[in-house]
Amino acid sequence: MTNKKVGWLVLIIVGLLLPLFINNQAQLLLFTKIYILAVFAMSYDILLGYTGIISFGHVMFFGIGSYSVSLMLKHGGQSWLNIVIAIIIAIVLSAVISFIVGVLSLRLKSTYYAMITLAFAELFHILSLKWRSLTNGEDGFNFSKYIPDLLKDRLNFYYISLIFLIIIAYFLYRFVNSATGKVLVAIRENEQRAETLGYNILHYKLISSIVAGVVASLSGIMYAISYRYVGSASVFGIDKTIDALLMTIIGGVGTLFGPLLGSGIINIAHELLADLAKVHPIFERWLILFGILYVLIVMFFPKGIMGSLHKYRNSLPLFKIRKSKDG
Amino acid sequence: MELIIILTLNGVATGMLIFLIAAGLSLIFGLMDVLNFAHGALSMWGAYFGIWIYKGLEQFWLHQNPNLLEASWYPWLSMLNFIIGIVAGIFIGSILGLLMEKLLIQPVYGNHIQQILITMGAMLILAEMVKLFWGSNLISAPVPALLDGAWEIGNIVLIKYRITIIAIGLAILTFLLWILHKTKIGLIVRAGVQNKEMVQALGINVKKVFTLVFMLGAGLAALGGVLMAPFMNQVYPTMGLEKQLLAFIVVVIGGMGSVFGSAVAGVIVGITEAFMLYYVPDAALAVNFLLMALILLLRPSGLFGERG
Amino acid sequence: MNSLLSLKQIHTHIQQFHILQGVSLEIPVNQVTVLLGRNGAGKTTTLRTIMGLNKASSGSIYWDEEEITNLPTYEIAQKGIGYVPEDQGIFPLLTVEENMRIAIKDEKSKHTQENLEWILQTFSDLKRAWKKKGGNLSGGQKQMLSIARAFVNDNSLLLIDEPSKGLAPIMVQALIEAIHQIKEKTTVLLVEQNFYMASQVGNRFYILDDGKTIHQGNMQELIDDEHTKQKHLGIYKKNI
Repeated sequence: MTNKKVGWLVLIIVGLLLPLFINNQAQLLLFTKIYILAVFAMSYDILLGYTGIISFGHVMFFGIGSYSVSLMLKHGGQSWLNIVIAIIIAIVLSAVISFIVGVLSLRLKSTYYAMITLAFAELFHILSLKWRSLTNGEDGFNFSKYIPDLLKDRLNFYYISLIFLIIIAYFLYRFVNSATGKVLVAIRENEQRAETLGYNILHYKLISSIVAGVVASLSGIMYAISYRYVGSASVFGIDKTIDALLMTIIGGVGTLFGPLLGSGIINIAHELLADLAKVHPIFERWLILFGILYVLIVMFFPKGIMGSLHKYRNSLPLFKIRKSKDG
Repeated sequence: MELIIILTLNGVATGMLIFLIAAGLSLIFGLMDVLNFAHGALSMWGAYFGIWIYKGLEQFWLHQNPNLLEASWYPWLSMLNFIIGIVAGIFIGSILGLLMEKLLIQPVYGNHIQQILITMGAMLILAEMVKLFWGSNLISAPVPALLDGAWEIGNIVLIKYRITIIAIGLAILTFLLWILHKTKIGLIVRAGVQNKEMVQALGINVKKVFTLVFMLGAGLAALGGVLMAPFMNQVYPTMGLEKQLLAFIVVVIGGMGSVFGSAVAGVIVGITEAFMLYYVPDAALAVNFLLMALILLLRPSGLFGERG
Repeated sequence: MNSLLSLKQIHTHIQQFHILQGVSLEIPVNQVTVLLGRNGAGKTTTLRTIMGLNKASSGSIYWDEEEITNLPTYEIAQKGIGYVPEDQGIFPLLTVEENMRIAIKDEKSKHTQENLEWILQTFSDLKRAWKKKGGNLSGGQKQMLSIARAFVNDNSLLLIDEPSKGLAPIMVQALIEAIHQIKEKTTVLLVEQNFYMASQVGNRFYILDDGKTIHQGNMQELIDDEHTKQKHLGIYKKNI
């Protein structure tokens, strides 16, 4: 435990001092993006790494956050109050939708859940595409002029994002180490057993979904503000879900640090390779490399979290565990 | 009335195409308990590769003899090129299926989480590789001359290509049902969908059949893809995921492991889409999605599901 | 005594549960050996471990001098071991005919044909239900089908798991007769909770408790041994 704390402390100090070594806005934005997407990946890790749920629709909460803040500001005008309202709307909407999707689909096999969440996200994507009057469809819209100046300053927003990351990380740290969090891990390790111990699996999975969904929507809000623009493809497209997958798996599932690491790797690599793309077009397809890396990791490093996700195929529950008194 | 007939026929044609993709997915899911998240990519590769070969051959012949276009037998040559394209598409699909099964599915067999994640990774890689070879923009896919155009019966316009698709779909369906019900290996597949363990206990190595079924499913998906291309007049890099979503809906509605179910559900979904696209286009996917949700709530094993 | 099948100190774990904690059996040829014991003692797991459906974590299984521990299930079955599981394992959407056909290795061989004829004679009910779907059969018919299917291939050993469960007494009687006929031609390892049935067909017995073999002997001795029956099988009535 203390090692981890030292690690985070080092990170925070590095984060605070980093702007001293950066001299251009683009790089500042890059790190801002890394922090924001790290939060998105962490929220995904709550599902995948801690509870053992695979969702392919996580981007829909991201999009909900992004559109909440951009629409609120655009139609309500520039004001801090509007931002707060947007945050509340995003939280409520994502909680409600997590709940609905969860209630309908969490009971089903994991393969069904994965496909259904994919379909839901696609529905949101299509909705945002077609509802042109609201979202301006594929082209999206820029809402820069409605953003308070404080947030438009790149350096300010860098620090705000860093603080955002730290606060959420702390919150999630407390969450996964709470009693609820431990039940989630128990479910991930052996769902059948957790059930025979008397835990209402669906209830806990729903909590996990809602927490993950809400945090994702918050990261969506931050993302939209940093880019000052929303478009269907960027906030509701499957690319973000893929990103979450890559960041979490490559960075390391089931650890809060992993997603941050993953976010750093993916985003920095993306920048570097995008520059290289001017040299040779093959670098445009950097995703292939990451895809292969991702597949290799899933296949060969199922240690810890993944290894214990293996459900034994030949089990016969011959013994029933009695409910233990401390639950 | 004519409109209804036209829409229905369009729907059945779409349905047959989705059936081709869904049939493999359903069998693989039913028999191996594997939901291949890269199945749509196999279909897309079939489409891209098949059309590439087809157009390549067309260009080749025209290059040799620019006057070919006027020859009366040119449409037949074109048809031959198209058939070669189809075969090429099926071939690439099957090969990719074989590689996928051996390299990605077998190593993680039994672990659902790994398998879902890995096949999704494969989908990503395959989709990106399409862009690598053919670019990110859509590519046109023409209908071969012989199948172009329509027949007119009274007020009803029957588009030749769509009728062809329906015919091919029905032929494949018949062929598949024949294999399943009249051959030993089909018997093994049907039994395996119902109770894998017992098949093993009867001395049959079901895992060998897995690879065959996976390849068959991949080949069918690729066939669906290459036939779908002229239907949509194009191929584009996101068609894999799109069609896979529809295929999944069909598998759920039709019932996991049932080829016949995939056909029936395919037609239902196809017709629904045809009508919705005409009347309320924005809601097309949503309606089919709702159908699936309904089945999941009321009869989770699907219309013809062989498993509970 | 030459054992057709022998288990030496078999341990099996299912997830974290230590189900079999030292099972040792010697199954003599052309006899019916019965595995007795309370619910949860590990009888079904024993059969499944022999078939390779559950992995033995330690110990060894020998089939006619050859070690078969943890071979893939289909290979074990191919050696001539037939399995009749507790739930019969009938394919519900396949007809009786298809259920039989899938088990048959060589449809053309005369021997198989003879077996098939014998089966249709002995289990005449199956002949009548030939084209019926497996799922539509009665409990007794399913049981007959499952046993017939395990037998048609000239398997040298049949592992049968609680065939009398849920069957009416008259069916149990038919089952007893069927097993009597079968045991002339092959060897049987039978798991049974129904002591009457066990005593009617069994030559030898083993008692399993808490995943261990704790007692064995001749069936005739057990029938007269009230003490053992009470202590390990919970049987209190006399002459059952």
